[in-house]
Amino acid sequence: MNALKSEPFVLNIGPQHPSTHGVFRVKVTVDGERIIDAEMVMGYLHRSMEKLAEERTYTQNIPFTDRTDYLSSMSNNLGYCLAVEKLATIEVPDRGSAIRVIMAEFQRIASHCMAAGAFTNDTGAWQTPVMWAFREREKILDLFEMTCGARLTCNYMRIGGVAFDLPKEFEPHARKLVDTLPGFVDELEGLMSENEIFLARTRGVAVVPHELAANASLAGPMLRGSGIAWDIRKADPYCGYEKYDFDIPIGYQGDSFDRFIVRLEEMRQSVKIIKQALDGLPSGPHSTQVPLALRPPKGEAYARVEGPRGELGYYLVSDEGPSPYRFHIRPPSFINLSVLKQMTVGHSVADAIVALGSVDIVVGEIDR
Amino acid sequence: MSLLMLITDNWYDIRDLGNVSHEILYQLDRVLPYSLVYIIAALMGFVASFLIFVLPSQLFVGVLGERKIIGRMQSRYGPNRVGKFGLLQPIADAIKLIQKEALTPKAADKAVMYIAPIVFVAPAVLLFAVVPFGGHSVFADIPVSIVYFIAISGLPVLAAFIGGWSHANKYSLFGSMRIVAMTISYEVPLVLSLLSVVLITGTMRLGGHDGIDGIVQWQRDYHIWLIFLQPLAFLIYFFCVSAELNRTPTDIAEAESEIVAGYLTEYSGMKWGLFYGMDIGYALAAAAFASTVFLGGWSMFGLDRWIPSWLIIIAKTHLFYFIFIWTRGTLPRLRIDQLMTFAWKFLLPLSLANLLVIATEKVIWNKATDGNFDNFWVYIFAAVNILLSVAAVFIWARLLGYRPEATPKRPRLVNTASGYVPIPAPSREVR
Amino acid sequence: MHGAGPNLAFWVLAALTLVSAGGVMVSRNLLHAVLFLIVSFLGVAGFFILLSAPFLGMAQIIIYVGAIAVLVLFAILLTPRAGRDNGETRWAAPGVLLSIALMAVLLFVITDTKWTTAKDAPEITAADLGQALLSTWVLPFEIASVLLTAALIGSIMLVRSPEEEAEDALQ
Repeated sequence: MNALKSEPFVLNIGPQHPSTHGVFRVKVTVDGERIIDAEMVMGYLHRSMEKLAEERTYTQNIPFTDRTDYLSSMSNNLGYCLAVEKLATIEVPDRGSAIRVIMAEFQRIASHCMAAGAFTNDTGAWQTPVMWAFREREKILDLFEMTCGARLTCNYMRIGGVAFDLPKEFEPHARKLVDTLPGFVDELEGLMSENEIFLARTRGVAVVPHELAANASLAGPMLRGSGIAWDIRKADPYCGYEKYDFDIPIGYQGDSFDRFIVRLEEMRQSVKIIKQALDGLPSGPHSTQVPLALRPPKGEAYARVEGPRGELGYYLVSDEGPSPYRFHIRPPSFINLSVLKQMTVGHSVADAIVALGSVDIVVGEIDR
Repeated sequence: MSLLMLITDNWYDIRDLGNVSHEILYQLDRVLPYSLVYIIAALMGFVASFLIFVLPSQLFVGVLGERKIIGRMQSRYGPNRVGKFGLLQPIADAIKLIQKEALTPKAADKAVMYIAPIVFVAPAVLLFAVVPFGGHSVFADIPVSIVYFIAISGLPVLAAFIGGWSHANKYSLFGSMRIVAMTISYEVPLVLSLLSVVLITGTMRLGGHDGIDGIVQWQRDYHIWLIFLQPLAFLIYFFCVSAELNRTPTDIAEAESEIVAGYLTEYSGMKWGLFYGMDIGYALAAAAFASTVFLGGWSMFGLDRWIPSWLIIIAKTHLFYFIFIWTRGTLPRLRIDQLMTFAWKFLLPLSLANLLVIATEKVIWNKATDGNFDNFWVYIFAAVNILLSVAAVFIWARLLGYRPEATPKRPRLVNTASGYVPIPAPSREVR
Repeated sequence: MHGAGPNLAFWVLAALTLVSAGGVMVSRNLLHAVLFLIVSFLGVAGFFILLSAPFLGMAQIIIYVGAIAVLVLFAILLTPRAGRDNGETRWAAPGVLLSIALMAVLLFVITDTKWTTAKDAPEITAADLGQALLSTWVLPFEIASVLLTAALIGSIMLVRSPEEEAEDALQ
């Protein structure tokens, strides 16, 4: 007896879809509600940053890095500045490094707030967790505004340090915030991690086995969610991360829920780091003097930082000119996204949305 | 004392608005032909139930209250710009919707697309015909009110289905398929849970008053709300009705984050507004029905002698509607297969078991009291049923493989970047 | 029931039912035909209510409008070539013949029946219907339920995929 046949049909998720976090498009072929094929279409937000950077000086490129991953501009600034410093062998004063760590970790918390909130939104929680997360994110952005005047595209780090020293009122505000943040993480955990429906929607959905995660060169919470303990801050410390005491949270089987709880725990660990950095904040200059028209010696350099989404690498080639000969970014969410097909095929459309949300993409970074 | 003198069951007795309408109709009947009085009665019923209760509730509780309460849950203010406390916000919304362009896709089946919102609205108005607002103030206290309610509440699904189908949009088609599949599944436990109510009360009439059997009258007679006597039926009713109404834990048919509002994707302007407004209308109807069947309707353990009965039922309805708002503000959405599993594997067996228990109790009650059906046994049954319901829910969930403690809620912590860390044996069950 | 109200209701319902039944025949679009059929069903439900059989009317709405019409809609939706024009089918001639035969039978039955009007029809409640179904007509009732169960199992068997069957064979 022949079974009833159903015809597969093609469904475009995006580029205008509330859950694609920007203009990103997935062309899925579905059989009923089950996905049998998924094809990613990128480039709707392409701004040609890497090519543009070849025409500008090293300092002028810092604002570009703000606009790649616009949810974690501090980490991007940091990665780029580290790459230039490596290329031109510039020493950063201790205070500059400590401020960089504080800012990068605050940025990680802010970005994870956004990630966790948007992810719960994708599972269908009607705006409540995302609003709670935004409430906390706002406080961090207020700190950024206090320090550098900008909230989203901070442009705070400079080659050789940071643009300005911390204002006087920064420390009390930061300490107050750091004390309340773990409470917020507990709150979100109580709302979502303990929620039966949320568990049902995310447990076992979009599983990335650890072999696949390693082979696909995933990074950040995606990799750690699969149970691989890897963190650039531990494996290849920069900015003096080796001085701070923190743990790497890892998940169990690599499903969406594991990635979610890993992000929540990373927020707690970031708070721990910020506390240590604030306690041991050295005095001294916040930056070294660097010539405005920097001409690094001929050569190439690759610097990587642990951004909120994973290994954020900057590759620079210099030909002794005032602008880089080649500028390339290793965007974590682009590479993390490469396993989307393996994550979604065989699942339903609803699960594909959850899978996409758990990757935590920023389309500005994917398309650059 | 003058207030007490008002309470006389005469036409000027404000506790039961039915008295005044009876009086008006009685006087009219003496001067006008029967058919005209008939039409006036229909208009009065419509005006009373819909324009006085449903529409204001829809605007101020459904639209404004819901947004305000959810706003507070999300630590923001909610609408507060138009008018005092944002009170005029629903009206501003409606004006915006009316002047918005109503788009029609080129490939759409235009006639069907235009008809669907109208078909969606009509049953919402009809549903309130059987909801009793007092002993006498019920527009149509027909003997088969419950069946009427089930029948009419099945119609909007049809409208949603043809509306979604007519746009020739894939997301809408998804929404249509989902809403029909879900409604068919959830109708079964819904009807079974109401059947157990009918079984114990022995009537399908919703209202009733002294001398006429009805579910509200039954609850008044035995001084107990059916939610205490049949907690399981109430729970099943709540889940089923929130699934049929597309409220949040189960709003897969119009899931914004997945299928972009489902069958509403291509609707704009007031056509969308009708769907949106009537969604709230249906939720209110379901709430009014639930408070009538399970929460004692317009009765309040004797307080209904002093408080106007229509105030009691309106308060109960809004209280029940608050649960809908609450779930919407806090819960994520289930997946369609999980919803189907929930209906067929969890709710259906439980509702069948509930029916069996209630049938047994009815027989015991009949035999033990020689057909007198006295109060005493009802309270025993209530205690037994509450215990049985709790036990049944937990045991059945366990049997289906629900193990909340098997899932770790916190990640593991390691201190070095040491690569893959295997999960320590014994390995966890994968749910 | 007497008076203008019920009379008016009768004529409105009759017109509604007949016109929409005609629409079922005339409309070329299969989905429109089903929608007309639904209106026709609703008209019939109205007749039941008019004849003081509200339970039957409600049952008509639940079963025909709520279940059967949706089933038909689903069937149309899942049929690949449902959108085709149905006008030039080669079954036109047999169809006409069949409907003429049916019409003849119906006309015969209608003219042959002795139509008596009851002055005061007893009100039939749902309880009475239940009594009748479970006492006098218990055998047809049970047969119908067995038939429905068989249909249910049959439909489950139909939609099973070959992979699932292979899985079951292995166990």
